[in-house]
Amino acid sequence: MKHSGIQRFTFVERVVHWVVGLSFLFLLLTGLAFSHPRLYWLTTFAGGGPTARWLHPWVGVAFSISFVAMFLIWLRDMRVDADDRAWLRAIRHYAVHDKAKVPPAGKYNAGQKMFFWTMTLLGVAYLVSGLPIWMPAGILGIGPFYGGVVNVMRLVHYLATIGGGLFLIVHVYLGTVAYPGTIGAMLHGRVTRAWAKMHHARWEG
Amino acid sequence: MSAQLPANGLRIRRASASATPAPGIREGPEYAKLVDISRCIGCKGCEVACKEWNELGIEPTANFGSYQSHQDLGPNTWLLMRFTESEVDGQLNWLIKKDACLHCEEPGCLLACPAPGAIVQYENGIVDFNQANCIGCQLCVSGCPFDIPRFSTETRKVYKCNMCIDRVEAGLEPACAKTCPTNAIAWGTKEDMVRLAEQKVEGLRARGLANAMLYDPPGVGGTHMMYVVPHGDQLEQYDLPADPTAGAGALALLGTVRKLGASALGLGILAAGLHYLGFGPQAPEEDGK
Ligand code: HEM
Ligand code: SF4
Repeated sequence: MKHSGIQRFTFVERVVHWVVGLSFLFLLLTGLAFSHPRLYWLTTFAGGGPTARWLHPWVGVAFSISFVAMFLIWLRDMRVDADDRAWLRAIRHYAVHDKAKVPPAGKYNAGQKMFFWTMTLLGVAYLVSGLPIWMPAGILGIGPFYGGVVNVMRLVHYLATIGGGLFLIVHVYLGTVAYPGTIGAMLHGRVTRAWAKMHHARWEG
Repeated sequence: MSAQLPANGLRIRRASASATPAPGIREGPEYAKLVDISRCIGCKGCEVACKEWNELGIEPTANFGSYQSHQDLGPNTWLLMRFTESEVDGQLNWLIKKDACLHCEEPGCLLACPAPGAIVQYENGIVDFNQANCIGCQLCVSGCPFDIPRFSTETRKVYKCNMCIDRVEAGLEPACAKTCPTNAIAWGTKEDMVRLAEQKVEGLRARGLANAMLYDPPGVGGTHMMYVVPHGDQLEQYDLPADPTAGAGALALLGTVRKLGASALGLGILAAGLHYLGFGPQAPEEDGK
């Protein structure tokens, strides 16, 4: 279909993003299953309780590695500048599609940058809290973590999950149904010139 | 509640990670085991009886300078007699503790467990692990205030004393109580055992052990294995927490946050839907339809 237009993401960027996204979704759903008896049935899609429990931390490792890759690839574009601060002040206009009152954005708008930085912090939180829960007997001479440490880390892990889950809902909503034409950027990598002008006027012109 | 409960599910009072009430409907007495430490001669006959009845197999061990058989409990060592030497008023004191699950009335293990029906409590108070439902996360170990459950790296499940539930169901006492040559382990209803303990404590005090006490900690709702401790002022030497609690602190907070967590995500999805209905999609103009 849209094989014309502007290249927004390279093949590597798209692959890395899908590994991050799908692993995150897997972790979110199995994590919710472990936290809520009424959602335990979600483990069925991961091969049942024991398999889901075995997979969750390993998928967490895949998530962490791919997240680091994504972080390094996008870091340069994610620096927050004065234009972003102006954009953030207008965020309530953005939320109701009042385009005229929102300053034009670069390759990423300030909301996307905030999402990037929040997920970076949460990514660290998942890993730091997940490891002691995963290996309570200790690792590399650190530990054991049985008792208080594990219980506090469970709380941190859960809070980070709800935070990440809420951001994910906004991210997926905006990237799919709210802004038609956006998902293509992550599928075949291209967007139309009109799309770029509308959402990221300071990018590509 | 998961479908895979033990056959005697009708006696289940409480099950881990359960969104619906447990099926327990039968009424019966609550049982308790009373371990009178002052009568224990350290013969470890109970350890052997436990292994034998539960068919737990031999766990090789080595002499490590103690009378104790093994360093620690294990997935197939559900009972360990621990020996501690301590000094009291310049006198050597040889403390013996029968280390095994205390079968808490409020079991921290059960409250910490994320797998439906992997930990159950029967109406007689016995706390049992149902390995068929266990997902091997070991969160029960961190939930237990007494550091009892042990993980098997081979089966990836946790194990602990089940108070010989198969014997108790048949009207017998647990194997350790049956075998004890000095009657240091008594078995009966919780009521009777508390009464017996009070008599024993009184007797010990009359003999000059002023700090003798019954260990039945209220922070976990009391236990179904209680100790008569001759030196109640030395609980930490026995590795018995003075005031254990179950499901408190971070776990209690986790329980509260969870009540809001999933609803927050549900509301998030709802909000996105409403936003779409209210403001619609924003397509670039010349994109064509
Ligand atoms: C980054 C590396 C990660 C590691 C090593 C990790 C590890 C673990 C482990 C070992 C558990 C224990 C599971 C259980 O037995 O209940 C767990 C639970 C959980 N995980 Fe993760 N995880 C990671 C990332 C994530 C992510 C990205 C999410 C969500 C998006 C997540 C959500 C959850 C939730 C909600 C629980 C249940 C918490 C509880 O009740 O204790 N995890 N994680
Ligand atoms: S002693 Fe530990 S394993 Fe036994 S019932 Fe209490 S919390 Fe559970």
